Amino acid sequence: MAPGLRLLRGNVGLMVAPVVIAIAGVLLAVRVGGAEKDFSEASALQWSERLWPQLRRHIELTMWSTFWVLIIAIPLGILLTRPRLKFLAGPVLTVANSGQAIPAYGLLVLLAAWLGTTFSTAVIAFTIFAILPVLRNTMVGLDQVDKSVIEAGRGMGMSRRRALVSIELPLAVPVILAGVRTALVINVGMAALAFLIGGGGLGETINSGLKLQRDLTTFTGAAMVALLALTVDWIAAVAERVLRPRGL
Amino acid sequence: MNQSDTTEPMIRLDRVSKVYPGQSSPAVAELSLDIARGEVLVLVGPSGCGKSTTLRLINRMIEPSNGRIIFDGEDVTGVNPDLLRRRIGYVIQQIGLFPHMTIADNVATVPRLLGWKKDKIRARVDELLDMVGLEPNVYRDRYPKELSGGQAQRCGVARALGADPEVLLMDEPFGAIDPITRDRLQNEFLRLQSELKKTIVFVTHDIDEAMKMGDRIAILKESSQIAQLDKPEHILAYPVDDFVDDFIGSGSTLKGLSFERVRDLELSPYPMIRHNAGHAQARRVLDEAPQRWLLVLDDMDRPLRWVNDSHLDRTDRPLRDLGHPVRAKVEPNATLHDTLEAMLTSMAGCACVIDKRGSLQGVVEIEALTDVIRRLRANARKHYEDENGQSQPTGTPS
Amino acid sequence: MSGITNWFEYVGDRWSDVWGASWDHLMLVIQVMIVATVLSVAVGVAVRNNATLRNIALGVAGILITIPSLALFTIFIPIVGLGFKPAFIALLLYAILPILRNTITGLREVDPNVLESARGMGLNGTQRLIRVQLPLAWPVILAGIRVSTLITTGFAAIATLVAGPGLGIFIKDGLRRLGLPLSMESVWTGTIFTILLALALDLVLSTIGRFTTSRGVR
Repeated sequence: MAPGLRLLRGNVGLMVAPVVIAIAGVLLAVRVGGAEKDFSEASALQWSERLWPQLRRHIELTMWSTFWVLIIAIPLGILLTRPRLKFLAGPVLTVANSGQAIPAYGLLVLLAAWLGTTFSTAVIAFTIFAILPVLRNTMVGLDQVDKSVIEAGRGMGMSRRRALVSIELPLAVPVILAGVRTALVINVGMAALAFLIGGGGLGETINSGLKLQRDLTTFTGAAMVALLALTVDWIAAVAERVLRPRGL
Repeated sequence: MNQSDTTEPMIRLDRVSKVYPGQSSPAVAELSLDIARGEVLVLVGPSGCGKSTTLRLINRMIEPSNGRIIFDGEDVTGVNPDLLRRRIGYVIQQIGLFPHMTIADNVATVPRLLGWKKDKIRARVDELLDMVGLEPNVYRDRYPKELSGGQAQRCGVARALGADPEVLLMDEPFGAIDPITRDRLQNEFLRLQSELKKTIVFVTHDIDEAMKMGDRIAILKESSQIAQLDKPEHILAYPVDDFVDDFIGSGSTLKGLSFERVRDLELSPYPMIRHNAGHAQARRVLDEAPQRWLLVLDDMDRPLRWVNDSHLDRTDRPLRDLGHPVRAKVEPNATLHDTLEAMLTSMAGCACVIDKRGSLQGVVEIEALTDVIRRLRANARKHYEDENGQSQPTGTPS
Repeated sequence: MSGITNWFEYVGDRWSDVWGASWDHLMLVIQVMIVATVLSVAVGVAVRNNATLRNIALGVAGILITIPSLALFTIFIPIVGLGFKPAFIALLLYAILPILRNTITGLREVDPNVLESARGMGLNGTQRLIRVQLPLAWPVILAGIRVSTLITTGFAAIATLVAGPGLGIFIKDGLRRLGLPLSMESVWTGTIFTILLALALDLVLSTIGRFTTSRGVR
């Protein structure tokens, strides 16, 4: 048995999910391929011209915004748990938490008006939106590391940095990864709104279906986004298992 | 082995203080303390007396507010604390094994920090696991969560010994372990220490553990003031003040007997006779001695029976069938505490000292023990009076 | 400064529209939250003692929250058409997980010794649930409701894309006319009033929490 598969043993959900997603994908393809389409539907649902480029763009948007979330939120989370900056942790979390009240739709449009309707604007907006879970989980993950373990490490002569890198961060990995998974899922969802400001993605298909009142088109877009989100979530769940330090 | 002057202390605390901002009284106030090479010094005191703080000042886990810390002749008050700590083993009650690392990786922590070669580290890890009684082939690749509390603590000790530091600091290392395992770990630790001869500073709140583990004991009051610093038997025989007396608790005389051994007693003569002697001879021996009991021995001088006046009157059966069997037997290296316990169960109120083959060496009577106790007290008092004459020692009798 | 003055003027001129949209938005959120709370707490109570059912309930709710909001809003259109219905269904499905998760956590975190002693005093299963477990779990459940309300209020702005009610209409309108006069004011109106609504609801819920939580566990 491959090591990857061994890690999945004991978690039925992780084994079943890809099968279910694949079956749903096939059913969708059969349904769309076999349906009677008028001209506008046929052009909106064309795979190589429309759906495939949108899917790719959707994934790019997700990946880039998640990348920036990691680059910003993890170091920030580390800084805010250091003794010197710890006093900022409470206020920052409060602000970040109430940031949940900002409607994604409004923020996206405001940023577009300010920075222009481009791919980067979309990435910036999604990055802002998905920072909270990674930031919060980095801080919580570092905070919940058993203090006596750190004390033991420092007592043996590990420098602060060494203790951070070889004790605190590895022990915080499971919690941080859970935050990253949440961020990924949020970003897949947000990327569906990128069409609003010309950022592309599968939202385009949903939108054209809505505008032209073609339910099949709308449904296809929505179903693809949903399946993509579930796939990304599954990959992240597998990564959580694989990257989790052994012994925990 | 060590080139530096062996009379020089391994660790010297020179008027060390620790004051936390916003607290009225210092956690440690002007503490001076010498810790000799190869000794186990126990810091013991009620909770909140600053004993843990004192320990953590030595490896500068807590920075002193004042005073100097001399380590192996070198003032380390200002050196890089991380480099200092790599030279000092550190064991804490919670153990703090790294849960994401294998046992081998845990034990290898300090050697890795010091940049040892891979083969050397691997050999050292196996040596250490073996030393603390964890079979390397079984435990090397396990993770901490797969260990019991006792095994985890052994692993913690092995890790602290990683780079063979001369000094070990131990903060209530056996505090969170069940009593039976704790006793076993303590014994193993003492055996290990008799081979390794490390300098050890050991913190506990348990006076019995202190008595068992310590070559010397420092009993601390609030702000880490030393109430008394001495060998355990001296402290038991002569607590300098009410604080120490209260702290060591009742039964200190009895506890003191565990530091004395039978072989050091001078044994007085006791009436005894061979098993094949006649009753008339037995009566004569018993009449000439002040004791009420007669000890019957076999051909190899092994004690057989306790016989008294009334037994001899009643019958003319051979001596070996009379009286009560001898059960209270101790070897010369038994402690007086064990001897007393044996005596209390004996019909004659005495314990027979026997050698390895079971032959009688002498008989211990209760007077011998009371003599010892009186001598211990007198010696301890004299010790303190002598010391008082020369200098102001720590822990002046009040 | 003039930007802010302009915005106040804009809102003042269209106060009845703003008020109407806010009211629609509020009503949508409140209806969603009432149904979501009843549903989630009921399911949480029902599955609390069965590990398999618990995992299934949390798993389904987890999948629902994984599906992107726009997909959830639009996927039901072929069945229920445009307007209030798809918006309501999507927001409802979204609102379940935080409440359900906290209900299950809260109920399971009640000290077993407390339940044991309640049983010892003769409280039956229902009495234990109502008199002991739910009151002790209430702060945790309420925290879930607050998170859920925050998310729902924000997402409800997207409802306008499926012709649903609410403040999203101002954002949509501004976006359509982006670059033209008053487009920014319109977007700001939709955004700011959504935030205000979310914060107001959160305040109300925290006040409710203060009055409904036993002082012993506050």
